[in-house]
Amino acid sequence: MPPQLPPESHYDPKKLGMIFAIVTIILLLSLIGIFVKDYAREWKGYQRDFRTQEVEKARVKKDAELKELAKNEEYQGVLKDLETAKKNQKAKESSIQAVNRQIFAAEAVSKRHTQQIQFAKAEYDSLKYQYESAASHKSSNAPKLKERLDKLSAKIEDLRLKVENDNKLVKEKTAQLKDLEKDSKELEKKRMAATKKLEILDRKLKRIDIAEMSAANQFADMVRDLPIIELANPNYKIRQIVVKDIPEDVNFMKIQRVDRCTTCHLGIDNPDFKSAAQPFRSHPNLELFMDKNSPHPMQAFACTTCHGGRGRATDFISAAHTPQNEEQKKEWQKKYHWEPLAHWENPMLPATMTQAGCFKCHSGQEVVKGAEKLNLGIALIERAGCYNCHVIDKFKDWPKSGPTLEYIASKTTKEWAYHWIENPRAIRPDTWMPQYFHQSNNSDPASVKRSEQEINSIVHFLFANSKPFEAKPVAFTGDAVKGKELVASVGCMGCHKVDIKKEENRDRNSLNREFGPNLIGLGNKTSQAWLFDWLKDPKRYHPGTRMPNFRLSDQEAADIAAYLIQDKSPVVDKPIPGIDEKVLDTIVSDFLQKSDTVANANDKLKSMKKDEKLLFAGQRLIREYGCFSCHNIAGFENEKPIGVELTNEGSKSVDRLDFGFVHIDHHSKIAWFNQKLKDPRSFDHGKVVKPLDRLKMPNFYLSDQETEAIATALMGFVKDRPNDNKLTGNSAKAKFINDGQTIIRQFNCQGCHTIEGDGGSIQTSVNDWLMNFEGKTADEAKALLAAYSPPDLISEGAKVQAQWLYEFIHNPETKIRPWLKVRMPTYGLDNSRINALVKYFNYLDDEEFPFTEMYHPSMTKEEFKAAEHLMSAEAFDCAKCHVFGQSMPHGTPDSWGPDLMQAKRLKPEWVAEWIKNPPAIKPGTKMPTFFDPNDFDNAGPADILNGDENLHIKALRDYLMTISADPSQYNPHEAAK
Amino acid sequence: MEVIKNFINMIADPKILFNIVVLGYLIVFPPFKFFQTIHDRLHVSFLWTKKGGIAIFSFLFFVFAFGLFDQNFRLIVLKPDNLPIVALIFLVAFFLWLAMTQAAENDAAIAAGGKPKEWAESREKVLVFPDLVYIEFICLIAAAALLAVWAIALPAPLEGPANPTVSPNPSKAPWYFLGLQEMLVYFDPWLAGVMFPTAILVGFMCIPYVDRNRKGLGYYTYNERRTAINIFMFYWLVLWVFLIIVGTFLRGPNWNFFGPFEYWDHHKLIALNNINLAELFWMIGLKQGMPTNIFLRELPGFLIIGAYFGLLPAILAKTVFKGLYERMGTVRYSIFAVLFLLALLLPIKMYLRWLFNIKYIIAIPEFFFNI
Repeated sequence: MPPQLPPESHYDPKKLGMIFAIVTIILLLSLIGIFVKDYAREWKGYQRDFRTQEVEKARVKKDAELKELAKNEEYQGVLKDLETAKKNQKAKESSIQAVNRQIFAAEAVSKRHTQQIQFAKAEYDSLKYQYESAASHKSSNAPKLKERLDKLSAKIEDLRLKVENDNKLVKEKTAQLKDLEKDSKELEKKRMAATKKLEILDRKLKRIDIAEMSAANQFADMVRDLPIIELANPNYKIRQIVVKDIPEDVNFMKIQRVDRCTTCHLGIDNPDFKSAAQPFRSHPNLELFMDKNSPHPMQAFACTTCHGGRGRATDFISAAHTPQNEEQKKEWQKKYHWEPLAHWENPMLPATMTQAGCFKCHSGQEVVKGAEKLNLGIALIERAGCYNCHVIDKFKDWPKSGPTLEYIASKTTKEWAYHWIENPRAIRPDTWMPQYFHQSNNSDPASVKRSEQEINSIVHFLFANSKPFEAKPVAFTGDAVKGKELVASVGCMGCHKVDIKKEENRDRNSLNREFGPNLIGLGNKTSQAWLFDWLKDPKRYHPGTRMPNFRLSDQEAADIAAYLIQDKSPVVDKPIPGIDEKVLDTIVSDFLQKSDTVANANDKLKSMKKDEKLLFAGQRLIREYGCFSCHNIAGFENEKPIGVELTNEGSKSVDRLDFGFVHIDHHSKIAWFNQKLKDPRSFDHGKVVKPLDRLKMPNFYLSDQETEAIATALMGFVKDRPNDNKLTGNSAKAKFINDGQTIIRQFNCQGCHTIEGDGGSIQTSVNDWLMNFEGKTADEAKALLAAYSPPDLISEGAKVQAQWLYEFIHNPETKIRPWLKVRMPTYGLDNSRINALVKYFNYLDDEEFPFTEMYHPSMTKEEFKAAEHLMSAEAFDCAKCHVFGQSMPHGTPDSWGPDLMQAKRLKPEWVAEWIKNPPAIKPGTKMPTFFDPNDFDNAGPADILNGDENLHIKALRDYLMTISADPSQYNPHEAAK
Repeated sequence: MEVIKNFINMIADPKILFNIVVLGYLIVFPPFKFFQTIHDRLHVSFLWTKKGGIAIFSFLFFVFAFGLFDQNFRLIVLKPDNLPIVALIFLVAFFLWLAMTQAAENDAAIAAGGKPKEWAESREKVLVFPDLVYIEFICLIAAAALLAVWAIALPAPLEGPANPTVSPNPSKAPWYFLGLQEMLVYFDPWLAGVMFPTAILVGFMCIPYVDRNRKGLGYYTYNERRTAINIFMFYWLVLWVFLIIVGTFLRGPNWNFFGPFEYWDHHKLIALNNINLAELFWMIGLKQGMPTNIFLRELPGFLIIGAYFGLLPAILAKTVFKGLYERMGTVRYSIFAVLFLLALLLPIKMYLRWLFNIKYIIAIPEFFFNI
């Protein structure tokens, strides 16, 4: 077979041409696709929508404005006048034109002369140089040059004169013209002023509304957004805010925060878009955020600073939006195909938890005004004592939450302690003592057996190690009925409750009343003698206690003890399980093997007696569960907290949280926190864990609302801090205020007092006392409530002298409101704390440091008499409401005022301000305004001290300061005449 | 369904899957008579026909269609990063089928006493236009269009800012290096990361010098180049492509194995009780302590490696590769044998790991020398 000739090609060129054409077209289409994809961005659609809405809103506004103007008679009058003025002006037209021409001509001459001057000056400078050079070289033509120079100088002078004359002429003529046009110009100005708003709207519409644009602008408007051309100056463009001073922390490096959120959220700072649909809706609180004049202007803070999320993103998903609930999640999935943004560690906070963002800058404040959820979270952390086991920077050096257990044997019984540890809520439903046992990871029968022996060991250890304490015997028999009234009235209820029910919706106010334990079930917890001793002097039993001394008399203390000892908890009487040595052995052996070889551990276990085992297990278990974190226990003084540090918990990466086998959709920090707080042991579910390796966090039985509040606070504990200038609490003043706030929180001052508008929690129980013990009706009680409650400490720093305040806090025996049943107790605070409080009140009221010294008034006889008169019943009748030492006013306490014989404690400037206008200092005060601020000069009696009101006030002030400093000067009966 | 999925998960364990793949390879590309018999009995050559192609692709599509009903399978396979590997499976299958089908046709023609299809044109001249240049140009344009469409449809998967304290788990090499990364499981980094890649490159350079067989030049054939194709296919399909697929789809967090329908649980733990050969020899075999002298300690390893590269080529030359040795001569045979054995180390090490938990044959961590 001869070799076949190969074909010229395997392919048909025509077919190949076709394929080539098709492939080329596909390439072209895909390139166009790239352009389309690049051009058609999600945000452009939003910007177009927004423009339409903006135009609509501007049109509506314009129409309203036009209607307004049509109704405005003044404006219509101006228009009419303008018309006549214009008509009048027509008559003068020829003369106006003539003057205009003259001005034009004069200006031309002036300009020409000015130019001549400029040229001559240039020539002069050049000639000057030539002459100077020639003169210094002693050149022969120097004199000649000098001559020319002088001539030129004279010419310039001459020209100057001419210009001045020209200008004068122009000025004259201009004035003449102005005079001719005066009427119409003035009216025109008036018209412009009236239509200013309209003008702005018009200008805006011309800019954005195609219908109002000129043809050229319409064309430009279309062209500027075409592909490629849009790089120059498009309508629709990404808007970004570069935030100074609040950098983004991207792991070991800080970068500038750049937020492009406003690319879609276009109406965020525009009050017109208050009820617009998202994404255009304006910020719900423009007074506080976004607005130029708010404390958080948009350009300085932008969005992700508080909200989190990915600021650089320009579409819905990559901005890391987070839905606030399941419903919204479903809606978003449908609308935007939402899914959590993988690989972004700080997704946006859900709208319900945005307040977490406040903490970043406001961590130096105890309470962030307006961030109620965050505040509640912090207050709950404080009350639950999370900081005892978990280090949190904010709560550094805070006192331990629980009572001391160093002398427990003298206070209670082993039975009570057992039942308490096992299930504190069975004894007190609202206690803050968390529960370690009967939890989801130790409720199987074997674990319950083990738990019983664990509790036995702990109780045994605590009682065996208890130091001796001798409660003083009660010398008095108490009256429980009187005791009940005392508890209700003397001030116990600022921190305690006597209530078997658990508060359903705890808020910051009710938390103040859970500062101390609920005083139920004391009958089988402790003895009457111990209670008596404790009430008389809490510091005797526990020097570190925050329970203050109410300076109760022996009888009062005995009465209260008799009352409190009545209530018994049925739970405590149940028998407790005996010691099961087999189970105890496994516990001891587990601990021994942790730190020793198996053989050694076994030997040790064999050699131990039952008692030793109990002690050993008890000690190890206290360390294991961290009991010492909240309670003082001898031998555990130097132990470290057992929990994870939470200072930067909000910045923790989700990868570092163990979700175990708990099924949670979309692993997120918030979901984990909520789950952990609801059931702290749940991440052990389905795991095989040895007893000592189990999760140990106890259960606080928090409500959903409470877990969310705490989770909000945790989300706020982030590591990225703003630069110092954006940090609140960075000034010395803020620091002093914060120090004071911390003490106020630590000692629960707001349980009784209203401070910075917060607190006064005791008022509910004052109300109860008025109704239950004083027989008042609800309305009466309401009226009397303020009078019988501890005072609101508004403007306290401005009001009282620092020295007095110091002494009062140190020893508050002075009675300013003698009718009050509530007592200011003695806290036994150390110097530094009292000073911190004094500084706090003063800095809060912007008082300068050092604070005002004691005031020594000097009065003339005339002033003294005038003051006496002003205070008498004929004039202001101060004694009608104010207590004067021993003399009580008439009427009921709801109208009574503080003891004026204590006025020496006050700051003189404040007293003057107070007399002058009380409501300005304390809105709603019952103190009458004697000097009408609207007619101050005629407010006081004209016949006294020349009718000078300022002198009246000074006299009153000095009189008060004098009599209170030296009561012998004062005779209440004489004053009352 | 659950049972089937669990079964697939079970056999996806590389200890089993690797054997299945090797067995499949041996049947499809039979090196010995024994496998040839099975090959013939099973009518494997059916695969290299048009119907066979349809069967191959139907099977692949079925596997993916079945898998996509499973959430875990979907999660991994539909990840934009993994698109090239999914494409790789189909493309490798297609080109393998294409080449083998043409080879089968030619082989049939040769067996019938004829010439291969491309014989004539590969003798006289090579067709350049439009057969080469124009086609290439069209392909270039098509590829560019494909990349553009791909970029539009599946935007590049970007991740968050790098965090030195958090490494992604699993941390995977780019897909084309996953085979190499898989080797790291069995070998010391300097071997898997440096020596073997170098050996692969050197090996490629050696091919024209080692293999001077002119048969099959310019046309597809299998029968005329069985040994070469069999060896290449083993390394390409089993040790490269298969390992990339394993690395992509079956290696999850902590580089653990996960079945295709298994959830990638970060907490999954697998006991890795590996021991060195020296420990196996001295402690378990001879029940005595390890010698303090490093070289004495590692003597068994040295002996084995020495024998593997020193004695084995000679033994092979006398037995299995007798014909090959005679054809190639000593020098070329030696080069071939060393390369061949070097590459064979990988499957051997895999088996040693799976059967005896052997970590290293020679382990001298004192000098960072481990094999």
